[in-house]
Amino acid sequence: MQKYNPYIISLLFVLSFLLLAFTLHYHAGSAINTQQIDSTEIAATVEMTNTMKFNPDTVIIKNGQTVQWKNSSLLAHSVTGDPSQATIKGSATLPKGADSFDSGMMDPDQTYQHTFSLPGTYQYFCIPHEGAKMYGWIIVEELSKNNHTSKIIIK
Amino acid sequence: MNKIKNTFIPGIMTSLLIILGIIGWAQPAQAQGNPDEAQKMKMLQEMAPYKGYLKAHMNIPPQELLGGPLEVEITQKSGGVFVILPSKRKLDPYVFGTPQVPRALAGTPGINGLPPGVRGINNGQYTEMEKPSPFGDKNIVMGNGKLDIKAVDATATDAGKTNDEIKFMASWQDKQGNTYEVRCCGMLAAHGVEYPTFGGVVTNTVMHGSSRIGTALMPTMYTYFAFWGMGEIRKNGDVLDKPRLVHGMLTEYVRKKDYELAFDDEVTPTRKHFHLMVPPMRPEMKEQKFVHEDVKTGFKLPNGMELPFWHVMFENLEIDADRR
Ligand SMILES: [Cu+2]
Repeated sequence: MQKYNPYIISLLFVLSFLLLAFTLHYHAGSAINTQQIDSTEIAATVEMTNTMKFNPDTVIIKNGQTVQWKNSSLLAHSVTGDPSQATIKGSATLPKGADSFDSGMMDPDQTYQHTFSLPGTYQYFCIPHEGAKMYGWIIVEELSKNNHTSKIIIK
Repeated sequence: MNKIKNTFIPGIMTSLLIILGIIGWAQPAQAQGNPDEAQKMKMLQEMAPYKGYLKAHMNIPPQELLGGPLEVEITQKSGGVFVILPSKRKLDPYVFGTPQVPRALAGTPGINGLPPGVRGINNGQYTEMEKPSPFGDKNIVMGNGKLDIKAVDATATDAGKTNDEIKFMASWQDKQGNTYEVRCCGMLAAHGVEYPTFGGVVTNTVMHGSSRIGTALMPTMYTYFAFWGMGEIRKNGDVLDKPRLVHGMLTEYVRKKDYELAFDDEVTPTRKHFHLMVPPMRPEMKEQKFVHEDVKTGFKLPNGMELPFWHVMFENLEIDADRR
């Protein structure tokens, strides 16, 4: 009868357990992430109107999600979350460290998408209608609660 | 004072060669048969603030613009326009003063000043003009707005002749797909009547409001470019009205939230838009005067009436200017 080293057997057990735990954690985690922050999926659509409004003017999303804008009006508009292009103080405000975004001029029926990767409150505006106070807001919430939950279950 | 109220008498306006910003509420029939009212109107017109200045410039040769002629190109290739509808203009105390200290009184009513009789009063302040004009907040959006302007500002002051030039084309479409078009100018206004027109094309000046150049019902605004001339009105390619006075200007942004027309302290100096105005007044060249006549716009308002003027705003602009 072949003799097995008990240390090696213990080590294999531990390794198998770790491998299993890792695999479960990895798969479970990715499944949750797919539901919560698939950045290719559109989490909210904002329409731009003939009355120079972003509708809805405020959208709440999770970090990593994507917002789509559709110019449903006859006018040309822009989606501009770029303080360097604002001519009125406060027309565009971003969370510290966030990337600016700008659709450029959008003709009727055109769409534009932006994925938000930093939590916080974003105020953006429409360049030609800045004087008419065409403003919108995106509130990006942290994913931390869901992440914590998933980690706790696995561990 | 209230007697002046219903005396908007284009028929008696003397020697009006070129007028701009003309209001749509003129009521010639009521005043023509009333010599007293006609006399008051004549006095208002004669007291327009630039009468003396214009007299000095009426017959002079064109004076060259400092720095030489300036070429201006303005285009809108896509996007819609705001078509302004008749509504009552709120009266800005910066421009019109107060009932105790009124300002901007003289000149043809609505075209230049505004007589007390049409000013609403509440709590010792002016409220709004008591009749609808083309200078209010109401508007509708129409699609497919196109603007194409090539102009030269060569002549500085008003003069007997002008070296200014302009080629102007603007069009837009209603929901049914009808195309409305304004073309200009067969003739430029070398000099004005109640206020300067700077040879027909002007660049880099202040107009309207307290400037008393143009209607006081629009706010005082920095004007990068403006023109006055005679053009034509088309619908679906057919000429509906010609010749018509056409006035256009590129200015700082004078609309607020919900497209309300700003008071002087509310304009946005850092953004621009273009105004097209075809007022409901027709020049009678032989008699050198204007008579009230609605513009044949071919556009029906919801109440079935034809819109009697065009006041159209373009805001998706490309702007270019160079010294020649
Ligand atoms: Cu806009």
